[in-house]
Amino acid sequence: MRGMLAVLKSDVDDILRSKGFLIIAIILGVVTIGAAVGINIPLSRWLNHGLPWNKAKPLLELFMGLAVNYMPLIVLYTFMATWATDPIAREKARGTLESLLATPLTAKAVWMGKSLAIFLPAYIISILSTLVVVLAMNFASILPATGHFVLPLPTAVTGFLFLPLLMFALISLGVLVSFITNPVIGQTIIIFIGVVLLNLVGQVGGRIIWLLPSWDYAFYNLAGAALLGTVALRISSSLTKEKIVLSSKGRWAQ
Amino acid sequence: MPVMSDPITLEVVSKRLGEREVLKSVSFAVKTGDVFGYLGPNGAGKTTTIRILLGLLELTSGKANILGEDVSRDEARRKVGFALEQDGLYENKTAWENLSYYAWIYEVAESAERIDKVLDLVGLQDRANDRVGTYSKGMKQRLALARAMIHDPELLILDEPTSGVDPSGQREVREVILNMAHGEGKTIFLSSHNLDEVQRICNRIALIDRGEIKLCGELEQLQQEMSNREVVIETAEITSEPLFAELKSIPRLGLQEGRGRSLIFVPQEGVKVPEIVSFLVGRGVGIEGVSRKKASLEEIYATILEKAELS
Ligand SMILES: Nc1ncnc2c1ncn2[C@@H]1O[C@H](COP(=O)(O)OP(=O)(O)O)[C@@H](O)[C@H]1O
Ligand SMILES: [Mg+2]
Repeated sequence: MRGMLAVLKSDVDDILRSKGFLIIAIILGVVTIGAAVGINIPLSRWLNHGLPWNKAKPLLELFMGLAVNYMPLIVLYTFMATWATDPIAREKARGTLESLLATPLTAKAVWMGKSLAIFLPAYIISILSTLVVVLAMNFASILPATGHFVLPLPTAVTGFLFLPLLMFALISLGVLVSFITNPVIGQTIIIFIGVVLLNLVGQVGGRIIWLLPSWDYAFYNLAGAALLGTVALRISSSLTKEKIVLSSKGRWAQ
Repeated sequence: MPVMSDPITLEVVSKRLGEREVLKSVSFAVKTGDVFGYLGPNGAGKTTTIRILLGLLELTSGKANILGEDVSRDEARRKVGFALEQDGLYENKTAWENLSYYAWIYEVAESAERIDKVLDLVGLQDRANDRVGTYSKGMKQRLALARAMIHDPELLILDEPTSGVDPSGQREVREVILNMAHGEGKTIFLSSHNLDEVQRICNRIALIDRGEIKLCGELEQLQQEMSNREVVIETAEITSEPLFAELKSIPRLGLQEGRGRSLIFVPQEGVKVPEIVSFLVGRGVGIEGVSRKKASLEEIYATILEKAELS
């Protein structure tokens, strides 16, 4: 456990110090402010029509469902798609991963430490971005017009917990595949499954959009996380240091 | 004989990688306090052996123990330090950060003091806060040794610690290794293809070629055994012609030549040096010195590998 934390701490230090992280964080900051402003303009105009609360409520919840699902998804996906497995490619090439594995750390601890290190900074930014948008929508438009604070519980649980969990399962799968094959393959898996997820949420006009603020939708995310997590755990049961070391050289090396 | 308590024991260890049998029934033991040189040409299987010892590769058959525990156990390496072929240092981190990372992993208590201590040990304390990317190869290698020492291990496993380092850097690295062995009392297993280096710092060696151990033992003893058993006896006066002829006529003594006051023998198997000496004394020859030429490691290496080449 402590060994895994050592990996986590060192890698998070690295990520926070890298220029790539800073650039993406700045871009996402701009996107967040843009989203907060952009969503408030039609929202306040629409609220000015003075719909009764019982009519407005489902629509506002749908709005909120969209925001609280899209923000974390966009933030997490941006980080994952740009460089989730890049640190692993570098560690394999430089031999730092092999040295790590020669310590008493287990291969699983290294895997978890690295997966968490990639996930946590992105997760924290996703929470902040989403909170900014949620608070902006409520305080700038919804509260003044209706006197209610709108954030359905299933939506909050999905956006802040289950969806990130799904993304973490995807990252850990991508990292695992990067460990035992070429990291490019791990990255491809992350991008591919990520695109499928983006499209599922983006089924605007389809039936699924009405599900967004519901518990059903929350549990779809949880089920997705469980599915990917199970796949990752199944593969990880055959994770050995030998596989990681041999895949760093020869056949799988870049 | 390997004993359970030996820091490293390999018993008929074989390793297959793909189609190739990279290690073939490798057996040897490293004793406590050894500076053990693992010698062999490129591709002989040195790195593969070290990876097995560090749990990075699984063995195909046989048994390997490290500090009394099976190499497959991750915990077996808690008291083992290592430096691999690739130094495994983070170039974008400082020396201090590199060390503190491993101090965490090994759960080193009072890690700040320990980091200072190992930096001091390898002479890098004034570069502690520089990024490793700015280091020379020799400095990186010394930092890798410092990292290997961070948790005060009992055993150090080093894969070609001076390879790719310039001569003055090599000397510094060697000094650090010797200090770790004799100053800090560590058992050291190091691979090398530098014979001169091994001859200078190791007390015991194993020679591996194409996955097979060709020779293993105490260096001093091997040098004696592998010498061409040449014995040089210094006499008080130049040996007379008749005595020289008499000595020459006894094949067991194996007199080769006389050079000034030196007589050079290569005695036959079973003939002990005192026997020659007493023979000479019996003929009234005054003896001033007896010496036996040891084989150099280079001669041993060449002899063994040539033999392998022929078979
Ligand atoms: N992943 C691998 N697959 C197949 N053969 C390998 C692999 N790694 C090393 N070898 C072969 O094993 C032999 C021993 O390699 P190695 O242990 O690195 O030698 P050394 O360290 O003594 O130079 C070499 O012939 C090498 O080509
Ligand atoms: Mg090697």
